[in-house]
Formats: sequence, C-alpha cells, structure tokens
Amino acid sequence: MIRIEKPAWDTMVSHAEKTFPKECCGVMLGTDGVVRQAVPLANAYTGPQEDFFVMDPQDLYRVDRQAQASGVEVLGVFHSHPNCDAYFSKRDLEHSCPWFSYVVLSVKNGRFDHANSYRPDFDQKEAPKEELIYG
Amino acid sequence: MAKILIPTPLRQYAGKRDAVELHGATVGEVLHALTSQYSDLRRHLYTDEGKLRSFVNVYVNDDDIRYLSKEATPLKDGDTVSIVPSIAGGSAGIAAPPVALSKDEILRYSRHLIMPEVGMDGQLKLKNAKVALIGTGGLGAPLGMYLAAAGVGRIGLVDFDVVDFTNLQRQVIHGTKDVGRKKLDSAAETMLDINPFIEIDRHETALSSENALQILKDYDLVVDGTDNFPTRYLVNDACVLLGKPNVYGSIFRFEGQATVFAYPGGPCYRCLYPEPPPPGLVPSCAEGGVLGILPGVIGLIQATETVKLILGAGEPLVGRLLLYDALAMRFRELKLRRNPHCPVCGDHPSIHELIDYQEFCGIPNQAHEPVAAAGDIDVVEVKAKIDRGDSFVLIDVREPHEYQICRIDYARLIPLGDLPKRVNELDSAEEIVAHCKSGVRSAKAVDFLKQAGFRKVRNMKGGILAWSDKVDPSVPKY
Repeated sequence: MIRIEKPAWDTMVSHAEKTFPKECCGVMLGTDGVVRQAVPLANAYTGPQEDFFVMDPQDLYRVDRQAQASGVEVLGVFHSHPNCDAYFSKRDLEHSCPWFSYVVLSVKNGRFDHANSYRPDFDQKEAPKEELIYG
Repeated sequence: MAKILIPTPLRQYAGKRDAVELHGATVGEVLHALTSQYSDLRRHLYTDEGKLRSFVNVYVNDDDIRYLSKEATPLKDGDTVSIVPSIAGGSAGIAAPPVALSKDEILRYSRHLIMPEVGMDGQLKLKNAKVALIGTGGLGAPLGMYLAAAGVGRIGLVDFDVVDFTNLQRQVIHGTKDVGRKKLDSAAETMLDINPFIEIDRHETALSSENALQILKDYDLVVDGTDNFPTRYLVNDACVLLGKPNVYGSIFRFEGQATVFAYPGGPCYRCLYPEPPPPGLVPSCAEGGVLGILPGVIGLIQATETVKLILGAGEPLVGRLLLYDALAMRFRELKLRRNPHCPVCGDHPSIHELIDYQEFCGIPNQAHEPVAAAGDIDVVEVKAKIDRGDSFVLIDVREPHEYQICRIDYARLIPLGDLPKRVNELDSAEEIVAHCKSGVRSAKAVDFLKQAGFRKVRNMKGGILAWSDKVDPSVPKY
C-alpha cells in the first residue's frame, strides 16, 4: 500500500497536467509507505515524449542524496499517461525497477482522470497493482 | 578502499547504511564484496545468472560504467561507486488491455489492424473511446456512420428532432422510410446496422446550459454537428470548462469550415468569434440552402480529426481553420491563435459557468421569428381577401429561384434585397401584405416598409408553407 499526502499529490497532478500532452515523470519521497513530498523531474527522453519517458540517472542520484540528507527515502516514482488509462504498459514493465512503487496518472485532455499504483517484480514480467490512497 | 553509496530503497538490505567502504580492484569486485556481506542485496542487483540487472546503473564518481569498462572498470583508492536505478516507461504498449477485440472484431477491423498507425493498440483506443455527437443532421449523418464503422466504442447522440422530407437531400443516415421518426432512433438504427459492436447513448433533448455539462462530462471529446449560433457557443464553452476537445464544423451553401477547438493550448470558438453575429444576418441552411454533398465533406473532415485525436496520430487540426469552397474546389487554411484575453479560455477568464446563449446571441425567448410590429395576418384571411376581390397588394419577398419552385399567383415578386430600390413601386396608401417561405424574411420586409413610412403593412404568418398547409395543398413545400 502507498499513501500520498495532499501537498505531494497536488504537485504530481499539477506536473502531469502541465506536461500534457507529453508524459511527465518524477519521484516520491517519504517514510514508512507514506509519501510526503513529490519531486517533478524533466523527461530526459530525446524522442517523442507523448508516450515515453526516461529519468536522467543524474537526477535520480541527486534526489536520492538529498532524500538521504533530509532523512527520507525514495519510495516510488510517478509518471503520466496522456489520453489513455493508468495501466502498467508493456514499456513500463520492460523498464521497471522492483525497488519502487510506480504511480501512473491518467491525464485526459489536459485534466487528471485517475491513477493506479503498481509494484513490479524482479524479472520485469509482472507488476501487481497495490492499494493507492491519495489526497 | 572504495566507498559504495547505497540508494535509499536498498538501505533496508544493507544494515540501514547509506554507504559502505569496501576493498576491491574493480567495480565487479567491490559489488561482489558488497553482496557477500549483505546477501539480501544480491537479488536486487544481480540476476540468477549473475549478471547485473537491467535496471541497475553503476557510476564510478560521475561516470556510468557502461561507458568505461563495465564491471571490469578499475577502482582507485577513494573512488565513489554509486548504485542508481534506471527508470523509464511510457503508455505505449498496453500490457493488459481493458478490453480485447473478439475474433469477429479482428476480422471487421482488419484494414485498420494492418496499418502501423492504428494496429491493435489504436483499434483498442477507438473501442475504449467515448465521443459525444451533437446533432444527427447534415454533419451528424456522415459523422455517425463513419465513427460507428471505425469502431468508436461509445457514441452519445444528442438530438430532439424528427426526420422530415427536406432532411433527406443530405442527412444520409436517415432514409425515406424514417420520415416522421425520431432522428435519434433512425440514426442509432443505421449506426448499429453498420457496426453492432458499438454502444450508443441516446440523449433526446436540446442541449442547454442546464444539461450540457452533465451530458458531455462522460465523453472524451465532443463533435459539434449543430447549425445555430447559440448551440455553438454553448458547446464551445462547455468543452472549455470540461477540458474536452471540440471538433467543429459548419456549412453554408457551397462553403464549409472545420477545426478543432478547446484543445489544450489551442484556441476556442470565442477566440475566433468573440461575439455572435446580429440575429438574422447570417442565414441558416434552412433559409439559405446547402449543397447536399457539402456536409458529407465537412462531416468527414470532423470524423477524421476525431479518429486522429483518439489515436494520437498525425497533426491535429488545432490552430488552423480549414476552409472549403466546393464551387472553386479549393481548400484554404487560416491560422488561429488562442486569445489570451478570451473570456472563456484566456489567461484570466471571466466566464466560469454556462450562460443564457439565446440571450447572448440576441434571440428573443420562445420565438425564432422576429416580432412583427403591427400584427400578422393569417393565410386563410389572405385567401379570403383575394376571393372577395379586396384591393390590396401581396408581395412575395423570396428569391426568384424560390419563386420558381412555388408561388401564390396573386403575389408580386420583390426579393427582400431589392425592396429598398423598388420601394417606389409600392403605394403607401394601399394595403400591403408581405410573404416569404416561413414568415421570417417577410417580417423584415414589413419592418423596413414601416420605417419607410408605410402604415398598412402586414406579414403573412407562416409564409407559403402555411399557405400549403391551410389553403392550397397543391403548392409544394420545400
């Protein structure tokens, strides 16, 4: 289960809507399964960003160090699916990392629609849904 | 001795430590030492075959070891080794589609499925799409038929009208057998005959400020197939407020327009037309006519844009107004920009809810007919006056080509546009009755004559259509 507190959730939704129709991405910081802060990151993919995102490892490294300095952990990552549902796609699975909760935000026509959270396995074969509480 | 920085999610497997100092000549050696010391870390970093997992990036100081010598990268005393996850993804490739296509659907959509731009993903997007179609008339007919055929999974039709004979020249979704039926039923029947794999919602109502948001909120996008200004502003404002694209089209005689309004960052109908035209200035298709084929062309441009928006394919018709001239057979494009001062989609909008669009467009409540100043005269009374041999002048203010379709023999043809220069043909002492097709233009003629000083002028209520209904059924209606 992952719980996202309202300020962090608002940051995620706003980042997803502002980045529409491209995909956004970012990381979620907190402790004990509760996200207290969301950090929007730039989509580092150099091709069309409407259905793909890449996080810059340097960004991840930096955010992880900052998290450590403030006594929190990187609990998960988030990204948006513009104009489609918040499923865990084939691409998501192929590039997934089992260390994190993956929150996917569906943004339709520029507005947040719904979200799901997934927990991918080590082999990048399956990503069961986990309970997501936000706001 | 090298320092290995442990990312926060893995710390629980490394004795809650954020860094571990270990000996080793290469990256491979220190990672081996790390996973020997903390065996729970092993499966996070290595596959069962002993290879680094694809989502694990390792940096020596600031450099990715993939660009050095990978795990054989040598280490010096004091080097820092960082473990950083690799994270990417994207919506492409639906892993667990919410719905799958049946065998029959795969056959039906095979010409879509073999195109890379549509394919299975695209066809599922179409199947999952929810489109509101306002109006099942000239534009709505080709739109409804082709969107159904393309496999748009849910189509909400909004109409309250009944099919009549004058519709059949262009509204190809309805047939002769449907005259007198509700357009909703007739349209839905045709669409489901074309494609029984779709769902149709029937909204039998005139779209209004009271119901628009409620009806449209359940759809992904809205296609405007209406023919009047109040509804166009209503659809536009509702789409902007709901954040749904508005696929717009309009037609008149030989000319049509199409564009996509209310797309994020793009203009809306109000950016193009901040104010409606004065009522009566722009004739409707019922008043001015329309080439029957024209809505086919414009409606299918709207259908194309609708399908493109659903697929996310190509370049949407956003910020461009496509103009079509059937007589010249030319397409032109006007650039449109979002107006930052637009009252509904601008940076500081002043309209936050739907308004009274009849009033906004200057149309008085109830009647579409202008109020005729000193009263109307019924067709039966006009007939009685002719039969009695009363002395009066009946002027027909329609166009000559309408006069060719049907006429009242007693009437004299003076088209409305010619009235100012031919007004001297009329005697202000005489009683004058004006008529047109339905009573709208003749009311304007009456107003004009009154302003020109004529006192005894009346408007024949309901025009020649009423004459055909009540006096002489042999007069054809058009």
